[in-house]
Amino acid sequence: MTRVAAAFRSGATELRRTPLLLGLLVVAPAYVIYLFTAVAPDGPAVVHVSGESVRTTLPAAFPAFTTPMTAALLSGIAGLFLVGTATRADARLVVAGYRPGEVVLARLGLLVGVAAVATAVSVGVMLTAFDPERIALFVLGTGLTALVYGAVGVVAGLVLDRIAGVYLVLFGSMVDLFVFQNPLATDTHALARWLPGHYPLRVAMDAGFAGTVDPLDVALSLAVLGVLGAVATAAFYREVRLS
Amino acid sequence: MGRLATGTRLGLVEFVRQPTTLAMLLVLPPVVVETYGVALESFPQLPSLGADPATAGRVTGTLFAVAFLSGLVGLFQVISARSADERMTVAGFPRATLLATRLVTMVAVTLAGGAVAFGVFARRVDVAAPALAFGVLVLAGLVYGLLGVVVGTLVPRELEGSVVLVFLADVDNALSSGLFPVDAAVPVPGAGDVAVTDLLPLYHPHELFSAAALEGELATGHLGPVAAWVLALLGIAFLAYGHSTGGGLPAPVRRWSP
Repeated sequence: MTRVAAAFRSGATELRRTPLLLGLLVVAPAYVIYLFTAVAPDGPAVVHVSGESVRTTLPAAFPAFTTPMTAALLSGIAGLFLVGTATRADARLVVAGYRPGEVVLARLGLLVGVAAVATAVSVGVMLTAFDPERIALFVLGTGLTALVYGAVGVVAGLVLDRIAGVYLVLFGSMVDLFVFQNPLATDTHALARWLPGHYPLRVAMDAGFAGTVDPLDVALSLAVLGVLGAVATAAFYREVRLS
Repeated sequence: MGRLATGTRLGLVEFVRQPTTLAMLLVLPPVVVETYGVALESFPQLPSLGADPATAGRVTGTLFAVAFLSGLVGLFQVISARSADERMTVAGFPRATLLATRLVTMVAVTLAGGAVAFGVFARRVDVAAPALAFGVLVLAGLVYGLLGVVVGTLVPRELEGSVVLVFLADVDNALSSGLFPVDAAVPVPGAGDVAVTDLLPLYHPHELFSAAALEGELATGHLGPVAAWVLALLGIAFLAYGHSTGGGLPAPVRRWSP
């Protein structure tokens, strides 16, 4: 456990010593959510959550549905680079006596840390414009969305090269979270429920606008995260052992 | 000319020899175009989408597919080749020629990606002026490719550069596509209040592409802003790139020391 903590600390130190990246972790979500809030026209909006239609305003709806997307984007990119491109250095740790599982655990712990920061910053900025009905559940939904896309980023980083990986993370989160799962849409496309962001975003939107969350949605979100996390862990474990 | 051709060939061979990147060039644009079309079929309530949301989605998806691909190629062309370019400069390659090779490579990839995406778009949408629409699509790719080059020059690490480009593209694509009604304006010195969308890099290419593809017209009012984006980004790219690879000064002679 000490070795996992040491590897985690070294990764965190690497992050801390990259001030530009730290700045971006804060500025990027603030920029997106603030901009969407600022440009939202005054006017009513109807969001479709928990099988019911809830009346709200566009300046409230915009920051609400861009917050999980922003946290997911940051985590996805972090997963892609922090884990995907670190395999060579991590393989040296294995040569130095670390067990592959310890290295993988440390890296995934770092990713969870980034997802937590991205979630905290995104929700913090959002709170200046939108007050969710159930803040704790909204944070849970946003955090789960971020973790799911973090896992997608890890897999993309290990399977694809960087250009394709970044493309996939941006396109995936845009289409999945911004278009397919958008609560402003009157009908959810049949394909939407098969995408990774469906259940966690539903948790966030239900908590934000309806104030009630179906426990099944939380369970299914955790299941999606479990499956993607297992795939990411297995792929990363294999990469570290083979490198 | 020989140096330009050599450098460009180098960049293209490097690109082509990465199988996943090549596959992405052929697979991802069609997937993006089609997915946007399918996804927006669920958006009947937004008046900004007009009568046919699926077509609006395919217009947005095609632009996004090509623009973001070019942006990423521009970004990684500059970042991944930084140390190699510095060595080429030491070997006598003029910096302007080096940047030109990166730009020509980016344009070549844009043409290829644009052709694939436009092919898929044209299969699903009856394009009114195909040549004009394709030209506008390449122009959109050029704007984002240059944006990628500028970001890659100013933010010289892959993770940070990708975050900057991804967040720029994310906001740009969402707001300039017209999927959501946006009427905010900001004061611009000498121009009065200007709509926020007018200032986004992809807004004018989006309008040009929509007009060319759906109405067969050249929306001349949007040509000037696109040209301004291209020229401004080109100027910044040359300045920043020259600065990042040595600022026009001769490379220092490094002495070996034990």
